Amino acid sequence: MSMQVDTTQMEKVSFNAEQLEEIRELVARYPHPRSALLPVLHLAQQHFGYLPMNVQQLVADTLDVNLMQVREVVTFYTMFREQPTGKYLLEVCTNAGCMLNGACELLEHMCRTLGIRVGETTPDGLFTVTEVECAGACGGAPVVQVNNVYHEKVTAEHMDQLIADARAQEDGGVA
Amino acid sequence: MTTLYIDDKEVTVPANTSILEACRMHGVDVPYFCYHPELKVAANCRMCLVEVEGWPKPAASCCTPVAEDMRVRTQTETLKKDRKMVMEYLLIHHPLDCPVCDQGGDCKLQDYSVEHGASQGRYVEPKRRTEDKNLGPFITTCMTRCIHCTRCVRFAEEVAGTGDMGVLNRGDHMRIDSIVEDTLRSELAGNLAELCPVGALLDKPSNDVSRPWELERHHSTCIQCPHGCDVIIESRGDEVIRIKHDPEGAEAWICDRGRYVYDAFRSDDRLLVPAVRKQGELLACDWNEALTRARELLKDKKVGIIFSPSWSLEGLTSIRLLHDAVMNEAKVAFDLHRRDMRPFAFEEGLSMSTAEIEAADEVVILGSDLRQRLPILMQRLRRRVANGKALTRIGAMNYRTNTSPGKDALIRPRDWPAVIARAMEQLKDVGKGSPAMEAWLERVPARHEAGKLLADALMAERCAVLVGEEIRAHEDAAALIHGIDLLMRSAGHGEAGDDGRNLIPEGMNAQVLSAVFGDIRTGVGELLQAAEAGELDALMLVGSDPLGDGLFSMQARRVLRQVPLVQVGAIGGQIAEFADVQLPAAAYSEIEGTFVNMEGRVRIADKPLRSIGEERPLWKVMMRLTQELGADDVPAVSLDELRQKAAVFMPELADVFAGKKGAEWRMPTARNRNARCLPSGVEPAMALDIVSRFSMYREGAWARASGLLREAGQLFALPDVLVHPHTLRQLGLEEGECVIRTASGEITHHVGTREDVAEGVLFVAKRGGAGDLSTETSASLRGV
Repeated sequence: MSMQVDTTQMEKVSFNAEQLEEIRELVARYPHPRSALLPVLHLAQQHFGYLPMNVQQLVADTLDVNLMQVREVVTFYTMFREQPTGKYLLEVCTNAGCMLNGACELLEHMCRTLGIRVGETTPDGLFTVTEVECAGACGGAPVVQVNNVYHEKVTAEHMDQLIADARAQEDGGVA
Repeated sequence: MTTLYIDDKEVTVPANTSILEACRMHGVDVPYFCYHPELKVAANCRMCLVEVEGWPKPAASCCTPVAEDMRVRTQTETLKKDRKMVMEYLLIHHPLDCPVCDQGGDCKLQDYSVEHGASQGRYVEPKRRTEDKNLGPFITTCMTRCIHCTRCVRFAEEVAGTGDMGVLNRGDHMRIDSIVEDTLRSELAGNLAELCPVGALLDKPSNDVSRPWELERHHSTCIQCPHGCDVIIESRGDEVIRIKHDPEGAEAWICDRGRYVYDAFRSDDRLLVPAVRKQGELLACDWNEALTRARELLKDKKVGIIFSPSWSLEGLTSIRLLHDAVMNEAKVAFDLHRRDMRPFAFEEGLSMSTAEIEAADEVVILGSDLRQRLPILMQRLRRRVANGKALTRIGAMNYRTNTSPGKDALIRPRDWPAVIARAMEQLKDVGKGSPAMEAWLERVPARHEAGKLLADALMAERCAVLVGEEIRAHEDAAALIHGIDLLMRSAGHGEAGDDGRNLIPEGMNAQVLSAVFGDIRTGVGELLQAAEAGELDALMLVGSDPLGDGLFSMQARRVLRQVPLVQVGAIGGQIAEFADVQLPAAAYSEIEGTFVNMEGRVRIADKPLRSIGEERPLWKVMMRLTQELGADDVPAVSLDELRQKAAVFMPELADVFAGKKGAEWRMPTARNRNARCLPSGVEPAMALDIVSRFSMYREGAWARASGLLREAGQLFALPDVLVHPHTLRQLGLEEGECVIRTASGEITHHVGTREDVAEGVLFVAKRGGAGDLSTETSASLRGV
């Protein structure tokens, strides 16, 4: 996969006033604007869902660093995503504790239910399933994060319910 | 100063020096990959480990500052083991393809592997393969060989200023990547191949051509811009394989123009045999026949000579000797970019060294596209800005600076008098006026706010003013330069050797030209005008190409059609079409000769390549011609004699040739203390000012003959005619075809826009349909 881009052909995006205010606060915490790169990237990812090149360019312009410096950071940390995800991001911990408590079986079950492989998104754009390393909640293994909300001791039935609830909410939303 | 012990030897170095630098200063060999004296410290290769007494583990010497009484050991059994392990680690993914790698034989990894590595690795897992990059016409990549030292990343960020390379991902997936496909947007890209300690980034044009041990190295001087960088020409036999930066030279990098111009040495455009025109066709002949024909055209005739400033000092002197011996009446001109021939208060050349300019309190660039003109000086200024020092720029455009000067003003060439006047007012306000200033001010009613930036900068104790081509080519240049001189005097910048008056020359040898031709020179415009009026019987072009370069292409074309031409030079180019006789002169790689750069630094090349055809050093051609034209006595029959003659014009040269002046000695630039020119007050005839745009890939006969530079030029090309979008909007026009009217007629041409050029200015490239616009100073635009 080539990472090279033509920055002149990108669609322009921007932060809203509220986000800009938040960024100003973040920047003020550090001696140099570029030091706020990590928190601003988190903010951008929250807002845009993921970090495509035009968003990275926006962050670069906002903090007066060049695009490459932003890209270096984005590609270094696995929690920054350069590809879009479904509306619901299901992150299954498969590290030791969760694995021993059936995380792998759970993951397989989810993939089968949704009809996708790990890392993929359902065709309706609702669900993305990924595998993560230790989520730091081994006491509640197996753990699944749904859009950053922790669900502990998740069973297959529990998971099916979560997915069904999400679907219902979406259908309700459309109606 | 700090005193420490390296391998039990007491050494003293400046405080805060790193251990590695202290070792290098004292000839202690410490291996390293990622460290580079011109780049920031990254400390990621771990090769430079040393032991410090009392420290529990080895330290990376490149990022450890020295301390008083520190005891450093660079050669211990533990270190040997450590280095062996670092090497093993660096080589995990490195392919064992030295036999097919161009770096082989000139490779740090290879050398250190022999010196410090193990003969066999223990790593048996599959090696990683990395996708190669397309980095443009000059750099080829084999990224699998990369050891991630990040020299290239730091180079792109700190030196080239483009910042378009970086390290993506981490761990095993780590790789060097660039933002833009197909090209590194830098005029310094060629340095990457030299910078890379392994074979990951290689020189594309010379890739798979030769082996380092087959090459002969010739120290030489690049003549492609007034900077005159020290270069090493690498050749196999008579063939130039590549040009490299000279590590012992004055500057740390060379630009792509100076590096890839070598493609011209072997191009079809080279003049390698004498030729005469018979029945409309140029036919090769022997020297005698060509000289006979030249004699017919030149002897006892009224001749105009236009020569290029980039010949060696000896070559230039020989032109003067020819003039004095047999062509006393000939008109002699060389500056294709100067309209105003009145003497300048300070003549072309820098009064400061580039290092002094970089270190000055303030630097002001007045009307120069420095990145294209003097890329290596611009690189220094970029570093200056990165270090938080001031840079002021006043001129017609601010694109292509690769840095953001803190203070920047866009002005039209016609605004210069008002800018200088505004600066004068400011100096008057603080009691630094002078009667001469009053006289100057009287002629200029307008004031332009950009003058404040100039006056502010002049208040500094050490201010370097760089006067560029927008002023030098101005119709009222002498008055503007006199105005700047008055400003500097008033602000207390005396007339010492390094007083900050720097007039950027058009080519090499500016100081030599002032000394040797100061009393006989005439303007190219004037010379061509005389030729057009039928006052000249013949024209002799010595390396000069007034069609491709400079501000007189239109007149030159008319003259060449009507006046017989003797062409002397190394490149035929488009002039060849008009030549009646061609006398081939040797390229700068093929001569023993002396070159003086814009700082006045003198370099003598004494190990030339052999001629590849019948071309001879210019001075021999000139002396032979002198003989042919009937001189009783040839003025100089050896290089020594010629140098003695040159010393008549420049007495200090005697010491230079006798080896009594060091490599640091600089020839002073000429001053005309009595030059008092007042502004003409004449407004340009039309609404828009024309500024001719310089391209390092296209300007100069050598560059045009180089296929490599041509390719890069096309890659980086901007629209031939550019204006600010407001300018178009005010005229009710849109980007696209427009009619451009000048005093010499109308043309229809595409007009592009850029926001970072001054409003009211028409930027024209010297090529194609818009090429001749450079001959005019003002124009107007209207719709088709």
